[in-house]
Amino acid sequence: MRYDDAELREKLAAEYVLGTMPALVRRRFERLLAADPKLRREVEDWHARFDPIDHGAPVREPPARVWRAVERRLALPRDSAVARPGWLGSLAFWRGATLSATALAAAVILYVAVRPAPSPATVVAILTDDTGAPGWVALGNGRGGSVEVAPVHQVALDAAHAFELWAIAGGTPHPLGLLQPEPGHPLAVEAGLVPAKGMLAISLEPAGGSPTGLPTGPVQYKGKVLISAR
Amino acid sequence: MTASPLLLQELLRQTAVGDAAAFAALYKQTAGKLFGIAIRIAGRGEVAEDALQECFVLVWQRAGDYDPLRGAAMSWLIAIIRNCTIDRLRRRARRPEGHAVEDALDRLAAPDSAAKGAELRALEHCLGELGEQPRQAVLLAYVHGLTREELAVRLAVPVGTVKSWIRRSLDRLKRCLDR
Repeated sequence: MRYDDAELREKLAAEYVLGTMPALVRRRFERLLAADPKLRREVEDWHARFDPIDHGAPVREPPARVWRAVERRLALPRDSAVARPGWLGSLAFWRGATLSATALAAAVILYVAVRPAPSPATVVAILTDDTGAPGWVALGNGRGGSVEVAPVHQVALDAAHAFELWAIAGGTPHPLGLLQPEPGHPLAVEAGLVPAKGMLAISLEPAGGSPTGLPTGPVQYKGKVLISAR
Repeated sequence: MTASPLLLQELLRQTAVGDAAAFAALYKQTAGKLFGIAIRIAGRGEVAEDALQECFVLVWQRAGDYDPLRGAAMSWLIAIIRNCTIDRLRRRARRPEGHAVEDALDRLAAPDSAAKGAELRALEHCLGELGEQPRQAVLLAYVHGLTREELAVRLAVPVGTVKSWIRRSLDRLKRCLDR
């Protein structure tokens, strides 16, 4: 086969992604892929064309033995990657995650200093509920400017209420704006308004936000600011 | 349930620097969706379980290869689970008879965000421009992992016909989607 023929390359990339290549041809194509960045690009483009179908696939919970096998094969430290039921919601896990986010934040600053663009996102805060389950994340773009706050998952909210974000430094809450309950629509907050040593909190307010400029409803999520957003 | 794209991107980046807790969180956030995709392709749990295990071993080893500028983290993970599942499926004997193919042809997917909805609508539109049988061949291959031979049996046509349907359909899809 002539792999320098553009049209043929295109066809092979498409059939590889569709999955209809015979096993032998598939393996040969994969060896080519490993050595050919341009061909990899074409495969990526085909994945992108089809992947809206997979984004809508039904969620199926895998058995716990899958994660245990991954842990075993990679010899991961058991206590940092616990897979027991409910571990994501456990405070211990999130304390661990918070610590590592801080360590990571230091690495990000270095990284940004060395490589100016494009900057990665930085975890500025993880806001958890009463049980310690993470509900919202505040992400900085690593260059100052703005911090985006969005829920980890869609959050239930009726039309009569709104989630309002607050910056808390020295005990005084300062309103930062109303939040959308969907992951895709973050609230952008000016980095300078996020207190470097304070907290972010979210209270449940009447639709339109707190009428007084201070939280009037219950605080439902809160989290320490892990790194200065500036 | 949709995990925030930025959160996944961040967890992937932390995984790349060897953070096991971030890797565990990434698994928790995405394994359900990836397992759903694997089961749909493989048609049976054992192959899907193997594929999911292999997928996350690769994610741990290759997280540093992920480039946010080239696409969403979830799309990167989907490409890996698809490859792992198809590789495992092709290595085994034929799938068991009576494999139930879900009704994916009428209702492709439930879009889980407005943007993804637009991409899905464009794809549905372009799939709609293919003939009925070629469209079925493409979807059965992509969604349920059928080989050319399995497609020929299922659609009751020669393998050569399946091959040319697929070639032509992929070509037309590309032209339609890139318009």
